[in-house]
Amino acid sequence: MNHTFIIARRVLTQLKGDRRFLALSIIGPLIIVYFLKLLFNTFPPMIDVKSYTMPFTAFIVHFLSFILCAILLVQERINGTLERMMIGGFSKTSIIGGYTLGYFGLATIQAITVLAESIWLFKLSYDTKTVVLLFIVIWLLAIVSVMLGIFISTFAKHEAHVFPFIPLIILPSVFLTGLIIKPDGLPLWAQIIGKCLPIHYAVNIIHEIIKPTYTITDTLLDYGILTGYIFALLVLASLTLKETE
Amino acid sequence: MNAIEIVKLTKYYGKICALNKMSLDVPEGTIYGLVGPNGAGKTTLIKALVGSLQPDSGYAKVLDLDPLKDKWKLRQQIGYMPQSPALYDDLSARNNILFFGKGQHVPDLQKKVDEILSFAELTKRANDAVRTFSGGMKKRVSLCCALIHNPKIIFLDEPTAAVDPHLKMQSWILFRKLAQKGVTIFVSTHQMDEAMLCDQVTILRNGEILAVDTPQNILKLGKTNVKIITNNEEKVSVIDSTPQSLADELKKYGLEKNISSVELHSDTIEDIILSIVQEKEKGNKS
Repeated sequence: MNHTFIIARRVLTQLKGDRRFLALSIIGPLIIVYFLKLLFNTFPPMIDVKSYTMPFTAFIVHFLSFILCAILLVQERINGTLERMMIGGFSKTSIIGGYTLGYFGLATIQAITVLAESIWLFKLSYDTKTVVLLFIVIWLLAIVSVMLGIFISTFAKHEAHVFPFIPLIILPSVFLTGLIIKPDGLPLWAQIIGKCLPIHYAVNIIHEIIKPTYTITDTLLDYGILTGYIFALLVLASLTLKETE
Repeated sequence: MNAIEIVKLTKYYGKICALNKMSLDVPEGTIYGLVGPNGAGKTTLIKALVGSLQPDSGYAKVLDLDPLKDKWKLRQQIGYMPQSPALYDDLSARNNILFFGKGQHVPDLQKKVDEILSFAELTKRANDAVRTFSGGMKKRVSLCCALIHNPKIIFLDEPTAAVDPHLKMQSWILFRKLAQKGVTIFVSTHQMDEAMLCDQVTILRNGEILAVDTPQNILKLGKTNVKIITNNEEKVSVIDSTPQSLADELKKYGLEKNISSVELHSDTIEDIILSIVQEKEKGNKS
Protein backbone atom coordinates (compact mmCIF):
# COMPACT_ATOMS: atom_id res chain seq x y z
CA MET A 1 0.00 0.00 0.00
CA ASN A 2 2.90 2.30 0.86
CA HIS A 3 4.34 1.78 -2.62
CA THR A 4 0.97 2.73 -4.16
CA PHE A 5 1.10 6.12 -2.40
CA ILE A 6 4.76 6.62 -3.38
CA ILE A 7 3.85 6.09 -7.05
CA ALA A 8 0.71 8.26 -6.78
CA ARG A 9 2.78 11.07 -5.27
CA ARG A 10 5.38 10.72 -8.01
CA VAL A 11 2.63 10.84 -10.70
CA LEU A 12 1.23 14.04 -9.16
CA THR A 13 4.68 15.66 -8.90
CA GLN A 14 5.33 14.65 -12.50
CA LEU A 15 1.98 16.09 -13.66
CA LYS A 16 2.79 19.34 -11.87
CA GLY A 17 6.12 19.47 -13.71
CA ASP A 18 4.58 18.71 -17.12
CA ARG A 19 2.52 21.86 -17.57
CA ARG A 20 1.85 21.18 -21.25
CA PHE A 21 0.22 17.84 -20.42
CA LEU A 22 -1.70 19.37 -17.54
CA ALA A 23 -2.99 22.19 -19.75
CA LEU A 24 -3.94 19.74 -22.50
CA SER A 25 -5.82 17.55 -20.01
CA ILE A 26 -7.85 20.39 -18.55
CA ILE A 27 -8.14 23.00 -21.31
CA GLY A 28 -8.49 20.38 -24.10
CA PRO A 29 -11.90 19.09 -22.95
CA LEU A 30 -13.13 22.66 -22.40
CA ILE A 31 -12.28 23.63 -25.98
CA ILE A 32 -14.00 20.51 -27.34
CA VAL A 33 -17.16 21.30 -25.31
CA TYR A 34 -17.12 24.75 -26.91
CA PHE A 35 -16.87 23.16 -30.38
CA LEU A 36 -19.84 20.98 -29.39
CA LYS A 37 -21.79 24.14 -28.58
CA LEU A 38 -20.92 25.59 -32.00
CA LEU A 39 -22.13 22.38 -33.67
CA PHE A 40 -25.38 22.24 -31.67
CA ASN A 41 -26.08 25.89 -32.57
CA THR A 42 -26.45 24.81 -36.21
CA PHE A 43 -29.17 22.22 -35.38
CA PRO A 44 -32.80 23.09 -36.20
CA PRO A 45 -34.86 24.23 -33.16
CA MET A 46 -37.03 21.10 -33.07
CA ILE A 47 -34.03 19.02 -31.97
CA ASP A 48 -33.69 19.05 -28.19
CA VAL A 49 -29.90 19.53 -28.02
CA LYS A 50 -29.99 19.78 -24.21
CA SER A 51 -30.65 16.05 -23.91
CA TYR A 52 -27.46 15.37 -25.92
CA THR A 53 -25.23 17.83 -24.06
CA MET A 54 -24.43 15.84 -20.93
CA PRO A 55 -23.91 12.46 -22.68
CA PHE A 56 -21.47 14.13 -25.11
CA THR A 57 -19.74 15.94 -22.25
CA ALA A 58 -19.24 12.57 -20.56
CA PHE A 59 -17.93 11.12 -23.82
CA ILE A 60 -15.31 13.90 -24.16
CA VAL A 61 -13.99 13.21 -20.66
CA HIS A 62 -14.03 9.45 -21.36
CA PHE A 63 -12.07 9.76 -24.61
CA LEU A 64 -9.40 12.18 -23.34
CA SER A 65 -8.82 10.43 -20.01
CA PHE A 66 -8.43 7.09 -21.80
CA ILE A 67 -6.04 8.28 -24.49
CA LEU A 68 -3.84 10.46 -22.25
CA CYS A 69 -3.44 7.81 -19.57
CA ALA A 70 -2.72 5.03 -22.09
CA ILE A 71 -0.05 7.11 -23.86
CA LEU A 72 1.64 8.13 -20.61
CA LEU A 73 1.94 4.53 -19.46
CA VAL A 74 3.26 3.44 -22.85
CA GLN A 75 5.88 6.19 -22.54
CA GLU A 76 6.91 4.66 -19.21
CA ARG A 77 7.45 1.36 -21.00
CA ILE A 78 9.47 2.98 -23.82
CA ASN A 79 11.63 5.03 -21.44
CA GLY A 80 12.42 1.93 -19.40
CA THR A 81 11.04 3.45 -16.18
CA LEU A 82 8.31 0.78 -15.93
CA GLU A 83 10.93 -1.98 -16.00
CA ARG A 84 13.10 -0.04 -13.59
CA MET A 85 10.18 0.42 -11.18
CA MET A 86 9.50 -3.32 -11.18
CA ILE A 87 13.16 -4.22 -10.64
CA GLY A 88 13.26 -1.47 -8.00
CA GLY A 89 10.78 -3.38 -5.85
CA PHE A 90 7.40 -1.96 -6.96
CA SER A 91 4.71 -4.57 -7.60
CA LYS A 92 2.31 -4.57 -10.57
CA THR A 93 -0.66 -3.89 -8.27
CA SER A 94 1.08 -0.94 -6.62
CA ILE A 95 1.97 0.49 -10.05
CA ILE A 96 -1.64 0.26 -11.29
CA GLY A 97 -3.02 1.47 -7.95
CA GLY A 98 -0.52 4.33 -7.85
CA TYR A 99 -1.40 5.45 -11.36
CA THR A 100 -5.12 5.30 -10.68
CA LEU A 101 -4.73 7.27 -7.47
CA GLY A 102 -2.42 9.76 -9.19
CA TYR A 103 -4.92 10.41 -11.98
CA PHE A 104 -7.82 10.43 -9.54
CA GLY A 105 -7.18 14.11 -8.86
CA LEU A 106 -6.84 14.96 -12.54
CA ALA A 107 -10.04 13.06 -13.38
CA THR A 108 -11.87 14.97 -10.63
CA ILE A 109 -10.70 18.35 -11.95
CA GLN A 110 -11.64 17.31 -15.50
CA ALA A 111 -15.13 16.24 -14.41
CA ILE A 112 -15.76 19.46 -12.42
CA THR A 113 -14.50 21.89 -15.10
CA VAL A 114 -16.24 20.20 -18.03
CA LEU A 115 -19.52 19.89 -16.15
CA ALA A 116 -19.40 23.54 -15.04
CA GLU A 117 -18.62 24.74 -18.57
CA SER A 118 -21.41 22.67 -20.13
CA ILE A 119 -24.00 23.92 -17.63
CA TRP A 120 -22.92 27.54 -18.21
CA LEU A 121 -22.49 27.32 -21.99
CA PHE A 122 -25.73 25.46 -22.72
CA LYS A 123 -27.68 27.43 -20.08
CA LEU A 124 -28.84 24.21 -18.39
CA SER A 125 -31.09 24.83 -15.40
CA TYR A 126 -30.52 21.74 -13.24
CA ASP A 127 -31.04 21.71 -9.50
CA THR A 128 -28.11 21.05 -7.12
CA LYS A 129 -29.02 17.39 -6.63
CA THR A 130 -28.97 16.77 -10.40
CA VAL A 131 -25.63 18.57 -10.81
CA VAL A 132 -24.07 16.50 -8.01
CA LEU A 133 -25.37 13.27 -9.54
CA LEU A 134 -24.12 14.30 -12.99
CA PHE A 135 -20.71 15.02 -11.47
CA ILE A 136 -20.63 11.59 -9.81
CA VAL A 137 -21.42 9.76 -13.04
CA ILE A 138 -18.92 11.75 -15.16
CA TRP A 139 -16.27 11.30 -12.46
CA LEU A 140 -16.92 7.54 -12.25
CA LEU A 141 -16.63 7.35 -16.02
CA ALA A 142 -13.33 9.27 -15.89
CA ILE A 143 -11.95 6.72 -13.41
CA VAL A 144 -13.14 3.86 -15.65
CA SER A 145 -11.39 5.60 -18.59
CA VAL A 146 -8.12 5.85 -16.63
CA MET A 147 -8.36 2.14 -15.81
CA LEU A 148 -9.18 1.35 -19.45
CA GLY A 149 -6.13 3.38 -20.52
CA ILE A 150 -3.90 1.44 -18.10
CA PHE A 151 -5.34 -1.88 -19.35
CA ILE A 152 -4.95 -1.01 -23.05
CA SER A 153 -1.39 0.25 -22.50
CA THR A 154 -0.35 -3.27 -21.50
CA PHE A 155 -0.90 -4.34 -25.13
CA ALA A 156 1.12 -1.49 -26.63
CA LYS A 157 4.88 -1.42 -27.07
CA HIS A 158 4.89 2.15 -28.39
CA GLU A 159 2.48 5.10 -28.65
CA ALA A 160 1.30 4.16 -32.15
CA HIS A 161 -0.08 0.86 -30.80
CA VAL A 162 -2.64 2.82 -28.75
CA PHE A 163 -4.28 4.38 -31.80
CA PRO A 164 -5.87 1.20 -33.26
CA PHE A 165 -7.86 0.99 -30.01
CA ILE A 166 -9.60 4.27 -30.84
CA PRO A 167 -11.68 2.75 -33.67
CA LEU A 168 -12.06 -0.45 -31.65
CA ILE A 169 -13.34 1.07 -28.40
CA ILE A 170 -14.04 4.77 -28.76
CA LEU A 171 -15.90 4.89 -32.09
CA PRO A 172 -18.34 2.05 -31.22
CA SER A 173 -18.99 4.04 -28.05
CA VAL A 174 -20.35 6.86 -30.23
CA PHE A 175 -22.57 4.67 -32.43
CA LEU A 176 -23.75 1.78 -30.27
CA THR A 177 -24.26 3.04 -26.72
CA GLY A 178 -27.17 5.46 -26.95
CA LEU A 179 -25.06 8.57 -27.30
CA ILE A 180 -26.74 9.62 -30.58
CA ILE A 181 -29.72 7.28 -30.91
CA LYS A 182 -31.38 4.81 -28.57
CA PRO A 183 -29.75 1.42 -29.16
CA ASP A 184 -33.13 -0.43 -29.12
CA GLY A 185 -33.40 -0.21 -32.91
CA LEU A 186 -29.95 -1.73 -33.51
CA PRO A 187 -29.44 -5.43 -34.39
CA LEU A 188 -29.09 -7.60 -31.30
CA TRP A 189 -25.37 -8.25 -31.82
CA ALA A 190 -24.71 -4.50 -32.05
CA GLN A 191 -26.73 -3.94 -28.86
CA ILE A 192 -24.59 -6.57 -27.11
CA ILE A 193 -21.38 -4.83 -28.22
CA GLY A 194 -22.80 -1.52 -27.02
CA LYS A 195 -23.60 -3.01 -23.61
CA CYS A 196 -19.98 -4.17 -23.27
CA LEU A 197 -18.77 -0.57 -23.42
CA PRO A 198 -18.70 1.35 -20.13
CA ILE A 199 -20.06 4.61 -21.55
CA HIS A 200 -23.37 2.81 -22.30
CA TYR A 201 -24.13 2.74 -18.56
CA ALA A 202 -22.98 6.33 -18.00
CA VAL A 203 -25.26 7.51 -20.85
CA ASN A 204 -28.18 5.50 -19.39
CA ILE A 205 -27.70 7.14 -16.00
CA ILE A 206 -27.38 10.64 -17.50
CA HIS A 207 -30.59 10.23 -19.56
CA GLU A 208 -32.44 9.22 -16.39
CA ILE A 209 -30.89 11.90 -14.15
CA ILE A 210 -32.05 14.77 -16.34
CA LYS A 211 -35.66 13.52 -16.26
CA PRO A 212 -37.74 15.48 -13.67
CA THR A 213 -39.18 12.22 -12.27
CA TYR A 214 -35.76 10.65 -11.58
CA THR A 215 -35.08 8.69 -8.44
CA ILE A 216 -31.69 7.09 -7.75
CA THR A 217 -33.22 3.59 -7.55
CA ASP A 218 -33.95 3.80 -11.31
CA THR A 219 -30.23 3.56 -12.09
CA LEU A 220 -28.70 1.60 -9.23
CA LEU A 221 -27.84 -1.29 -11.53
CA ASP A 222 -26.09 1.05 -14.02
CA TYR A 223 -24.10 2.67 -11.19
CA GLY A 224 -23.17 -0.81 -9.97
CA ILE A 225 -22.01 -1.92 -13.42
CA LEU A 226 -19.96 1.26 -13.92
CA THR A 227 -18.26 0.73 -10.55
CA GLY A 228 -17.81 -2.95 -11.43
CA TYR A 229 -15.86 -1.89 -14.55
CA ILE A 230 -13.31 -0.15 -12.29
CA PHE A 231 -12.60 -3.35 -10.34
CA ALA A 232 -12.77 -5.61 -13.40
CA LEU A 233 -10.28 -3.42 -15.30
CA LEU A 234 -8.02 -3.26 -12.23
CA VAL A 235 -7.89 -7.08 -12.11
CA LEU A 236 -7.47 -7.37 -15.90
CA ALA A 237 -4.66 -4.78 -15.98
CA SER A 238 -2.89 -6.59 -13.11
CA LEU A 239 -3.08 -9.83 -15.07
CA THR A 240 -1.91 -8.39 -18.39
CA LEU A 241 0.83 -6.01 -17.21
CA LYS A 242 3.97 -7.93 -18.06
CA GLU A 243 6.92 -8.04 -15.70
CA THR A 244 9.15 -9.99 -18.07
CA GLU A 245 9.92 -9.97 -21.79
CA MET B 1 31.56 -18.05 -3.21
CA ASN B 2 29.88 -17.16 -6.48
CA ALA B 3 27.57 -14.17 -6.57
CA ILE B 4 26.15 -15.25 -9.93
CA GLU B 5 25.85 -18.70 -11.42
CA ILE B 6 24.62 -19.14 -14.98
CA VAL B 7 23.98 -22.58 -16.46
CA LYS B 8 23.19 -23.16 -20.15
CA LEU B 9 21.07 -20.01 -20.33
CA THR B 10 19.32 -19.72 -23.70
CA LYS B 11 17.09 -17.03 -25.14
CA TYR B 12 15.69 -16.68 -28.65
CA TYR B 13 13.99 -13.61 -30.11
CA GLY B 14 12.10 -15.31 -32.94
CA LYS B 15 14.83 -17.05 -34.93
CA ILE B 16 17.62 -14.91 -33.52
CA CYS B 17 19.59 -16.55 -30.76
CA ALA B 18 20.43 -13.86 -28.18
CA LEU B 19 21.93 -16.25 -25.60
CA ASN B 20 23.21 -19.64 -26.65
CA LYS B 21 23.55 -22.13 -23.78
CA MET B 22 25.61 -19.63 -21.85
CA SER B 23 27.32 -20.77 -18.65
CA LEU B 24 29.53 -18.74 -16.35
CA ASP B 25 30.28 -18.05 -12.68
CA VAL B 26 30.90 -14.63 -11.19
CA PRO B 27 32.87 -14.58 -7.90
CA GLU B 28 31.60 -12.34 -5.10
CA GLY B 29 33.22 -8.95 -4.67
CA THR B 30 34.67 -8.75 -8.17
CA ILE B 31 34.25 -6.32 -11.02
CA TYR B 32 33.07 -8.60 -13.79
CA GLY B 33 33.12 -7.21 -17.31
CA LEU B 34 30.89 -8.29 -20.15
CA VAL B 35 32.55 -7.18 -23.35
CA GLY B 36 31.28 -7.44 -26.88
CA PRO B 37 29.92 -5.54 -29.86
CA ASN B 38 26.30 -4.38 -30.13
CA GLY B 39 23.96 -7.36 -30.43
CA ALA B 40 26.38 -9.69 -28.63
CA GLY B 41 23.80 -10.50 -25.92
CA LYS B 42 25.12 -8.30 -23.09
CA THR B 43 21.84 -6.53 -22.35
CA THR B 44 19.80 -9.73 -22.75
CA LEU B 45 22.01 -11.49 -20.20
CA ILE B 46 21.73 -8.61 -17.72
CA LYS B 47 17.93 -8.54 -18.13
CA ALA B 48 17.75 -12.28 -17.48
CA LEU B 49 19.80 -11.83 -14.29
CA VAL B 50 17.68 -8.98 -12.90
CA GLY B 51 14.48 -10.91 -13.60
CA SER B 52 13.00 -8.83 -16.38
CA LEU B 53 13.42 -11.52 -19.04
CA GLN B 54 12.19 -15.09 -19.13
CA PRO B 55 14.88 -17.37 -20.61
CA ASP B 56 13.81 -20.19 -22.95
CA SER B 57 15.96 -22.76 -21.16
CA GLY B 58 18.77 -23.03 -18.65
CA TYR B 59 18.84 -21.18 -15.36
CA ALA B 60 20.60 -18.46 -13.43
CA LYS B 61 21.12 -17.92 -9.72
CA VAL B 62 21.93 -14.50 -8.32
CA LEU B 63 23.00 -14.50 -4.65
CA ASP B 64 21.71 -18.07 -4.70
CA LEU B 65 18.23 -16.84 -5.65
CA ASP B 66 16.19 -17.45 -8.79
CA PRO B 67 15.70 -14.06 -10.53
CA LEU B 68 12.07 -14.90 -11.37
CA LYS B 69 10.84 -17.14 -8.54
CA ASP B 70 12.58 -15.24 -5.74
CA LYS B 71 12.19 -11.80 -7.34
CA TRP B 72 11.02 -9.94 -4.20
CA LYS B 73 13.94 -11.17 -2.09
CA LEU B 74 16.41 -10.55 -4.87
CA ARG B 75 15.24 -7.07 -5.89
CA GLN B 76 16.06 -5.68 -2.43
CA GLN B 77 19.67 -6.76 -2.91
CA ILE B 78 20.43 -5.73 -6.47
CA GLY B 79 20.96 -2.42 -8.19
CA TYR B 80 20.22 -2.02 -11.88
CA MET B 81 21.26 0.71 -14.26
CA PRO B 82 19.79 0.14 -17.74
CA GLN B 83 21.41 1.29 -20.97
CA SER B 84 18.94 4.15 -21.44
CA PRO B 85 18.78 6.56 -18.49
CA ALA B 86 15.23 5.35 -17.53
CA LEU B 87 14.40 8.48 -15.53
CA TYR B 88 11.38 10.76 -15.18
CA ASP B 89 12.28 13.78 -17.29
CA ASP B 90 9.78 16.05 -15.56
CA LEU B 91 11.16 15.28 -12.12
CA SER B 92 14.33 16.77 -10.67
CA ALA B 93 17.46 14.66 -10.16
CA ARG B 94 16.75 14.65 -6.42
CA ASN B 95 13.13 13.51 -6.85
CA ASN B 96 14.15 10.73 -9.24
CA ILE B 97 16.67 9.35 -6.73
CA LEU B 98 14.23 9.84 -3.85
CA PHE B 99 11.54 7.93 -5.74
CA PHE B 100 13.70 4.86 -6.38
CA GLY B 101 15.13 5.09 -2.84
CA LYS B 102 11.64 5.10 -1.32
CA GLY B 103 10.80 2.03 -3.40
CA GLN B 104 13.63 0.22 -1.61
CA HIS B 105 12.75 1.66 1.86
CA VAL B 106 16.21 3.21 2.28
CA PRO B 107 16.71 4.50 5.85
CA ASP B 108 17.90 8.10 6.30
CA LEU B 109 17.10 8.65 2.65
CA GLN B 110 17.46 12.45 2.42
CA LYS B 111 21.03 12.29 3.79
CA LYS B 112 21.93 9.45 1.44
CA VAL B 113 20.53 11.36 -1.53
CA ASP B 114 22.65 14.40 -0.63
CA GLU B 115 25.75 12.22 -0.37
CA ILE B 116 25.20 10.48 -3.66
CA LEU B 117 24.37 13.74 -5.46
CA SER B 118 27.63 15.14 -4.15
CA PHE B 119 29.56 12.10 -5.41
CA ALA B 120 27.99 12.50 -8.85
CA GLU B 121 28.83 16.22 -8.81
CA LEU B 122 25.17 17.04 -9.25
CA THR B 123 24.50 19.02 -6.07
CA LYS B 124 24.17 22.34 -7.91
CA ARG B 125 21.66 20.89 -10.39
CA ALA B 126 19.87 18.61 -7.89
CA ASN B 127 16.57 20.46 -8.10
CA ASP B 128 16.51 20.97 -11.88
CA ALA B 129 14.26 18.84 -14.08
CA VAL B 130 16.16 15.94 -15.64
CA ARG B 131 14.90 16.98 -19.12
CA THR B 132 17.33 19.93 -18.96
CA PHE B 133 20.33 17.60 -18.40
CA SER B 134 22.89 16.41 -20.93
CA GLY B 135 23.12 12.69 -21.78
CA GLY B 136 26.13 12.26 -19.50
CA MET B 137 24.39 13.97 -16.57
CA LYS B 138 21.35 11.73 -17.01
CA LYS B 139 23.67 8.70 -16.83
CA ARG B 140 25.04 10.03 -13.56
CA VAL B 141 21.52 10.39 -12.10
CA SER B 142 20.71 6.90 -13.32
CA LEU B 143 23.82 5.53 -11.61
CA CYS B 144 22.78 7.26 -8.37
CA CYS B 145 19.33 5.58 -8.60
CA ALA B 146 21.04 2.17 -8.94
CA LEU B 147 23.32 2.72 -5.94
CA ILE B 148 21.00 4.48 -3.49
CA HIS B 149 20.00 1.34 -1.52
CA ASN B 150 23.53 -0.10 -1.09
CA PRO B 151 22.91 -3.23 -3.17
CA LYS B 152 25.04 -6.38 -2.88
CA ILE B 153 25.26 -6.74 -6.66
CA ILE B 154 25.09 -3.92 -9.16
CA PHE B 155 24.19 -4.59 -12.79
CA LEU B 156 25.43 -1.78 -14.98
CA ASP B 157 24.57 -1.79 -18.67
CA GLU B 158 27.15 0.45 -20.36
CA PRO B 159 27.23 2.85 -17.40
CA THR B 160 29.80 5.30 -18.69
CA ALA B 161 28.74 5.63 -22.32
CA ALA B 162 28.46 9.40 -23.03
CA VAL B 163 30.01 10.24 -19.65
CA ASP B 164 32.99 12.65 -19.65
CA PRO B 165 36.47 11.19 -18.95
CA HIS B 166 36.76 12.76 -15.51
CA LEU B 167 33.51 11.30 -14.17
CA LYS B 168 34.21 8.03 -15.95
CA MET B 169 37.45 7.78 -13.97
CA GLN B 170 35.61 8.75 -10.75
CA SER B 171 32.93 6.10 -11.42
CA TRP B 172 35.54 3.38 -11.84
CA ILE B 173 37.27 4.46 -8.62
CA LEU B 174 33.88 4.10 -6.89
CA PHE B 175 33.27 0.67 -8.50
CA ARG B 176 36.67 -0.47 -7.18
CA LYS B 177 35.90 0.86 -3.68
CA LEU B 178 32.53 -0.94 -3.71
CA ALA B 179 34.18 -4.19 -4.87
CA GLN B 180 36.69 -3.89 -2.01
CA LYS B 181 33.72 -3.76 0.38
CA GLY B 182 32.43 -7.03 -1.10
CA VAL B 183 29.94 -5.62 -3.62
CA THR B 184 29.86 -7.48 -6.93
CA ILE B 185 29.84 -5.27 -10.01
CA PHE B 186 28.53 -6.84 -13.20
CA VAL B 187 29.19 -4.37 -15.96
CA SER B 188 28.73 -4.46 -19.71
CA THR B 189 30.88 -2.32 -21.96
CA HIS B 190 32.26 -2.14 -25.44
CA GLN B 191 35.10 0.13 -24.40
CA MET B 192 38.38 -1.79 -24.13
CA ASP B 193 39.96 0.65 -21.66
CA GLU B 194 37.09 -0.13 -19.27
CA ALA B 195 37.49 -3.87 -19.80
CA MET B 196 41.08 -3.50 -18.57
CA LEU B 197 39.76 -2.18 -15.24
CA CYS B 198 37.73 -5.34 -14.54
CA ASP B 199 38.95 -8.30 -12.46
CA GLN B 200 37.60 -10.75 -14.98
CA VAL B 201 36.20 -10.38 -18.45
CA THR B 202 33.85 -12.43 -20.60
CA ILE B 203 33.93 -11.72 -24.30
CA LEU B 204 30.59 -12.27 -26.01
CA ARG B 205 29.59 -12.42 -29.64
CA ASN B 206 26.22 -13.45 -31.10
CA GLY B 207 25.07 -14.81 -27.75
CA GLU B 208 28.10 -17.02 -27.28
CA ILE B 209 31.07 -16.80 -24.94
CA LEU B 210 34.33 -16.43 -26.86
CA ALA B 211 36.67 -16.11 -23.88
CA VAL B 212 36.64 -15.84 -20.07
CA ASP B 213 39.82 -14.63 -18.39
CA THR B 214 41.53 -11.76 -16.62
CA PRO B 215 42.06 -8.73 -18.86
CA GLN B 216 45.83 -9.17 -18.43
CA ASN B 217 45.70 -12.73 -19.78
CA ILE B 218 43.45 -11.68 -22.62
CA LEU B 219 45.96 -8.94 -23.45
CA LYS B 220 48.68 -11.59 -23.75
CA LEU B 221 46.76 -13.04 -26.67
CA GLY B 222 47.44 -9.82 -28.57
CA LYS B 223 50.52 -9.02 -30.65
CA THR B 224 52.67 -5.88 -30.72
CA ASN B 225 54.61 -4.61 -33.71
CA VAL B 226 58.07 -3.32 -32.69
CA LYS B 227 59.77 -1.13 -35.27
CA ILE B 228 63.46 -0.36 -34.64
CA ILE B 229 65.42 1.98 -36.92
CA THR B 230 69.25 1.91 -36.76
CA ASN B 231 71.46 3.72 -39.32
CA ASN B 232 68.51 4.15 -41.68
CA GLU B 233 67.85 0.45 -41.46
CA GLU B 234 64.35 -0.47 -40.35
CA LYS B 235 63.55 -3.73 -38.64
CA VAL B 236 60.01 -4.75 -37.73
CA SER B 237 59.28 -7.65 -35.43
CA VAL B 238 56.03 -9.00 -34.01
CA ILE B 239 56.07 -9.96 -30.31
CA ASP B 240 53.54 -10.90 -27.59
CA SER B 241 51.89 -7.84 -25.96
CA THR B 242 53.65 -8.35 -22.62
CA PRO B 243 56.29 -6.19 -20.91
CA GLN B 244 58.57 -9.27 -20.68
CA SER B 245 58.46 -9.92 -24.43
CA LEU B 246 59.33 -6.29 -25.11
CA ALA B 247 62.34 -6.49 -22.76
CA ASP B 248 63.53 -9.70 -24.48
CA GLU B 249 63.20 -8.05 -27.89
CA LEU B 250 65.17 -4.96 -26.82
CA LYS B 251 67.95 -7.11 -25.32
CA LYS B 252 68.89 -7.96 -28.91
CA TYR B 253 69.78 -4.30 -29.27
CA GLY B 254 71.83 -4.00 -26.07
CA LEU B 255 69.26 -3.51 -23.34
CA GLU B 256 70.88 -4.44 -20.02
CA LYS B 257 70.30 -8.12 -19.25
CA ASN B 258 68.99 -7.43 -15.71
CA ILE B 259 65.99 -5.48 -17.13
CA SER B 260 63.27 -8.09 -17.33
CA SER B 261 60.25 -6.01 -18.22
CA VAL B 262 59.64 -2.84 -20.22
CA GLU B 263 56.26 -1.15 -20.11
CA LEU B 264 55.23 1.84 -22.15
CA HIS B 265 52.26 4.00 -21.40
CA SER B 266 51.40 6.76 -23.80
CA ASP B 267 48.60 9.14 -22.90
CA THR B 268 45.45 8.58 -24.91
CA ILE B 269 43.58 11.57 -26.30
CA GLU B 270 41.18 11.17 -23.31
CA ASP B 271 44.08 11.40 -20.83
CA ILE B 272 45.47 14.48 -22.55
CA ILE B 273 42.11 16.30 -22.58
CA LEU B 274 41.52 15.34 -18.94
CA SER B 275 44.89 16.73 -17.84
CA ILE B 276 44.29 19.99 -19.80
CA VAL B 277 40.89 20.37 -18.07
CA GLN B 278 42.41 19.63 -14.64
CA GLU B 279 45.25 22.10 -15.20
CA LYS B 280 42.75 24.76 -16.22
CA GLU B 281 40.60 24.07 -13.12
CA LYS B 282 43.69 24.32 -10.88
CA GLY B 283 44.56 27.64 -12.52
CA ASN B 284 41.04 28.99 -11.96
CA LYS B 285 41.06 27.99 -8.27
CA SER B 286 44.45 29.61 -7.56
